[in-house]
Amino acid sequence: MGNTWVALKGMLEYIGLEVIVPPPITKDTLTLGVQHSPEFACLPLKINIGNLIEAKRMGAEVFIMAGGAGPCRFGLYAQLEKEILQDLGYEYDSFIIEPPDTGYWQFLRQIKRIVGHASWWRVFQGVRFGYQKALAVDKLERLLEEIRPREVVKGTGDKIFQNALRIIDQAQNFGELEESYILSREKLRHIPQDEEKEPLKIGLVGEIYTMLEPYASLEIEKKLGYMGAEVHRSIFLSDWIREHLFLKAKAKSFRNFAGPWLNHFVGGHGQETIGAGVVFAQAGFDGIVQVAPLTCMPEIVAHNIFPEVSRNYGIPVLNIYVDEQTGEAGINTRLEAFLELLQARRKPMRKGTADPVPSPGAVSTSQASTNAVSTSTVFTSAAQVSGAGNEAADGEIAGCDGGKEAGKDSLTM
Amino acid sequence: MSDKVGIPRALFYHTYYPLWRAFFGELGVETIVSPETNKEILNEGIKHVVDETCLPVKVFFGHIAELNKAGVDYLFVPRMVSVEKKAYICPKFMGLPDMLRASKLAHLALIMPVINLVKAAQAEEQFILESAAPFTGNRRLIKKAWRVALQEQQGHEENLRRKALAVNADSGSAVRRKITESGWKNDDLTILLLGHDYNVYDRYVNMGIMEKLRHLGCQVVTSALLSREERELRLKQFPRSVFWTYGRNLMGAVFRFFDYAGKKGVIILSSFGCGIDSFIDHFIMRRLAAQKIPYLNVVLDEHTGEGGLNTRLEAFIDIIQWRRDYHQSYISTYGQHVGRS
Repeated sequence: MGNTWVALKGMLEYIGLEVIVPPPITKDTLTLGVQHSPEFACLPLKINIGNLIEAKRMGAEVFIMAGGAGPCRFGLYAQLEKEILQDLGYEYDSFIIEPPDTGYWQFLRQIKRIVGHASWWRVFQGVRFGYQKALAVDKLERLLEEIRPREVVKGTGDKIFQNALRIIDQAQNFGELEESYILSREKLRHIPQDEEKEPLKIGLVGEIYTMLEPYASLEIEKKLGYMGAEVHRSIFLSDWIREHLFLKAKAKSFRNFAGPWLNHFVGGHGQETIGAGVVFAQAGFDGIVQVAPLTCMPEIVAHNIFPEVSRNYGIPVLNIYVDEQTGEAGINTRLEAFLELLQARRKPMRKGTADPVPSPGAVSTSQASTNAVSTSTVFTSAAQVSGAGNEAADGEIAGCDGGKEAGKDSLTM
Repeated sequence: MSDKVGIPRALFYHTYYPLWRAFFGELGVETIVSPETNKEILNEGIKHVVDETCLPVKVFFGHIAELNKAGVDYLFVPRMVSVEKKAYICPKFMGLPDMLRASKLAHLALIMPVINLVKAAQAEEQFILESAAPFTGNRRLIKKAWRVALQEQQGHEENLRRKALAVNADSGSAVRRKITESGWKNDDLTILLLGHDYNVYDRYVNMGIMEKLRHLGCQVVTSALLSREERELRLKQFPRSVFWTYGRNLMGAVFRFFDYAGKKGVIILSSFGCGIDSFIDHFIMRRLAAQKIPYLNVVLDEHTGEGGLNTRLEAFIDIIQWRRDYHQSYISTYGQHVGRS
């Protein structure tokens, strides 16, 4: 998932295990995953299955997967993957790690089972090393987010960042890591930039997988950057590790800003999504983009609440759901339209002239955001119509997969 | 004049209405339930939530709109986080009150207590106090009302279970006899109708699937046939803990159904976009396929069309029928094969 592999590989190799990094996610990965996953499962699961199959072909023997205790579907991923892979005839040993939130000792025992002989000190250092790597990558990525809209030659930052990932991955100890981090940071800072420019500021919020894995969200972050917007993402891997593994920093969590809109934990990152939206709005951002896999339950709750947040803070929100049917051109058009809308909003305010819209700013933005909401549903409602249009009878009879396939075909209409 | 509390005939109504009616009744509060779901209610509901939301939640919002007109004083919309240890209901149930507030649909005073028994089974005291807060602060009265209500609910569940278990006994009903005379012989076929309570018991949403099945001459059982204890026992067959209450019900019922006698089939009712069912149904279908039990997966959404459902149900029943006939005719006489090779 995204650049997570750098940190995980760092951690496991430090402990003394051999790690196989699955190839980067491609269309093939997704196709493999979609073929073998339940139709209505969310996108991350489908990609996961594809990854696991590809890794198996490269010779992996064990997969390590996080567990969970709900209410998000992720908690049952590992079990479902195990069963699907078994049916496909891929022999995998699986380790399911329950998150430490549910019990620290149990968590440590599971780790110990995976690492075998390594001493606890080694394990501890390994985890710390992995975390440091994650932190380094995340800091560079934050820098990159600021550079993308401003760099003179588009793409320079990303090239340097890719190189940085490689050298951070190669770092074998804390010293080397520090060195490679500082080197990459300086390289990034020396990219020629347009200092005058005041890019639009966009808050990117949503479900963690689509946040961290660029392929899943069709590289929305990069796209926005190249279209000239400074993107701030709500979730970074190192934050997640800090909160869930070290059980720290809960006080700083976005969750605390979700009230009064969303007052209860709804699983996944639903509450963080709303909270981050509020934080970005208060910080004077120009707009918010929410990204989530189709049918993601926590994000649908957040989506339902966003219009209200949008109305209240006068900040436009664009909601994007992704699944295997999502087309790139459609996303591009919507992002461009959204940015143009934000730019148009900004101009009169900058010049200090009267608002061209007679109604107060907050109201007009809320209209804009509802427009955005309705366009955001074009894809998915098309899927609903054709997927269920056959008299709400989209399904399958035992031993007959024809119905499922037919349903898929009709989606491409 | 006593206060009136409005309860939408959606979602948790289908599971817990007896409990709440008794609870509020004991407190001297009248409960008003919205009418049965119909097209207007559904259309109204669709207007107030985003498209991605699942059908039951859309229906729920329609019922809220309906209650706005019904002249009630309060709306009862509890935040059903969890009703048992280590299991949640569903993220959408957890965010329901917030979604309702964001939609600005409800004009009435809301009663929105939180019930969360994930960590401890005793956390319900806060819930009942909050539920009763607008009417009385008398702890003793509230607790007594709750005890009565729990009993009522237990009786209700017991009743459902008895009915489900007695299904084999009442094969002499008029409809079935008529069908048998007309040449249909499905009266020995048992169908397990699997679905969340709000889909199984809402006749508009599921297009009367239960009646349809009975008219086809099948006996229908639901996950209500399981007691809590038995469900837990059956669930031990599954290697991991299922952390959704509805998921547990469905899975437990399937495991129980495996040792049901006679011809049988399973119909899985789920809502389009239901995250829980996308996984649970898959687990269930794998196991049904392994056991060679025929199953049919019906996905519900607002684009309802009854014709399609009828066709599929009939086809499904036919398939089970053929399987049986095939097996029956395949008794070879000594030394030679008969019928299909």
